[in-house]
Amino acid sequence: MISAIHLSRQFGSRVVVDDASFEVRDGEIVALLGPNGAGKTTTLRMLAGLIAPTSGTVSIGGVPLTRTTVSSLRPQIGFLTETPGLWDRLSIVENLRVYAGLYGVAQRDRAIDRALEMFELGDRRSARAAELSKGMRQKVALARALLHQPAVLLLDEPTSGLDPEIMRAVRQLLDERRASGCAILLSTHNLDEAERTADRVAVLQRRLLALDPPDVLRRRLTASRTVVRVNGEASAHLAGAQRFDPRATAAAETMMLTLRDPEREVPELVRALVAGGAAIVEVRQEVATFEDVYLRLVGATPSKETRAS
Amino acid sequence: MMRRLLTLFRKELLDLMRNRAALIPVIVAAVIAIAMPFSITVVIPQMSHEPLGADADLLKISRAVGADELSGEGRVQLFLFQQFLLVFLLMPITGAMSLAAHAIVGEKQARTLEPLLATPITTFELLVAKVLGSLIPTLVISAGALALYFAGIAVTAEPGVARGMLTVRTLLLVLGIAPLAALVSLQLALIISSRVNDPRTAQQFGVLIILPLTALLVAQFTGSMWLTNRTIVGLGAVLLVLWIVLTGFSVALFDREAILTRWR
Repeated sequence: MISAIHLSRQFGSRVVVDDASFEVRDGEIVALLGPNGAGKTTTLRMLAGLIAPTSGTVSIGGVPLTRTTVSSLRPQIGFLTETPGLWDRLSIVENLRVYAGLYGVAQRDRAIDRALEMFELGDRRSARAAELSKGMRQKVALARALLHQPAVLLLDEPTSGLDPEIMRAVRQLLDERRASGCAILLSTHNLDEAERTADRVAVLQRRLLALDPPDVLRRRLTASRTVVRVNGEASAHLAGAQRFDPRATAAAETMMLTLRDPEREVPELVRALVAGGAAIVEVRQEVATFEDVYLRLVGATPSKETRAS
Repeated sequence: MMRRLLTLFRKELLDLMRNRAALIPVIVAAVIAIAMPFSITVVIPQMSHEPLGADADLLKISRAVGADELSGEGRVQLFLFQQFLLVFLLMPITGAMSLAAHAIVGEKQARTLEPLLATPITTFELLVAKVLGSLIPTLVISAGALALYFAGIAVTAEPGVARGMLTVRTLLLVLGIAPLAALVSLQLALIISSRVNDPRTAQQFGVLIILPLTALLVAQFTGSMWLTNRTIVGLGAVLLVLWIVLTGFSVALFDREAILTRWR
């Protein structure tokens, strides 16, 4: 389990992460969303013990991450950096062998073979890293992060620049790691990926703006629109609709309303409109996209840099 | 600890083997270190028909080496070959310098440093592996060049000169001072490499380290200073202490956070 409590980080007078508290449970994937410069990479670096927080604490598996514990905790953490960071002159297998040695992986060759197989890299094992495509390099970097079978995975944009096929393979792999009890925190700009992969989504813009399952976040932040299509001019029945939503609008055959509780109000609305003589052709809910939810969240926060006093 | 250190050291060697061009400065220095003394001591006198022993000044200076059993020509040759031995001290330093200067800043530029620092490797292990990764290959090349130097002396110099070279002084210089001086220089280069933003700056600072050694070399050649065995042992002790202090400094000055967050 990863736990961050009141985590803050300043560089000089610039506050990059401000009082962020969250946890990632074992067997859970949390996606960290936020615009560029929101503090995602800094947060991941603090959780990986690469940089120290200005204030607040990080715990990995219940053990506080400090100067004295960081070395013993590192073998529990798999960290995928923003760029793959492979040694270009070394082959795939040589790159992995170095990391297996540094992490003290038992049965090194078997572990490497397993990692290569997982990412279908076996037939390119002797290829130099410099010869690999961006997607392949990312796959090797992911294999490297998983090589020592860490209990905690910190992934900085794991699917950045990957084609859809590889993205799907990575998602599948993350599902498998989650099923084996791994706590996974991944940062991404890909809202679709966040929604599909993560159990919960954390939206960070210097401060933690939200942390909820994607559907809860959507419900919490957006009211869905109800669209009613009638036979004939919808404006003739607008007064009936405005009893439910005073700001309801009508255009041609369609009326649009925002209801607070569609589950309860839609049947009443239909009854009222039918009683008023409307011939209803269709009633449907327009659900906000996750992108709308995200933009609403980050748009609500001033984007200008905040100076610490 | 040793496992991680050796793992990274092996990676350094492998990386260097795949980038042999990086060893060209060491090889060029080795060729010069061998060619120069033989040209001056053997080839030029033979071609010009002016033996070294005919030069009164050289004969006078060469008495510093002792070896009264040698002919005048042989003693001057021994003196010069002993002097040129100091060039072999500079060789591993100049050669390894470019490698060490690149060690940390190069990793940072290639973006390989962050995943490396996320592993359990300690700063001490990282820095020692980097120093050894630069030192060992250059020492191997230097040792090869030195073997050629001695073989060349045995074949081309006056009788007795080769035997005269095999002294405690030579052993102290070759086995003691050369690796220690190289270690000190590399450790300094590594400190510079972990404090600057690009390899060129690291190399430019690194060159400054050679200056005091060059001064020592010039002092030897002009006869204004002769390194006795005692001086060499003292110098070795100073270098050893200096290396230990510098290793401590380089660990203390290696600021992981600054390297990751301020370097671009």
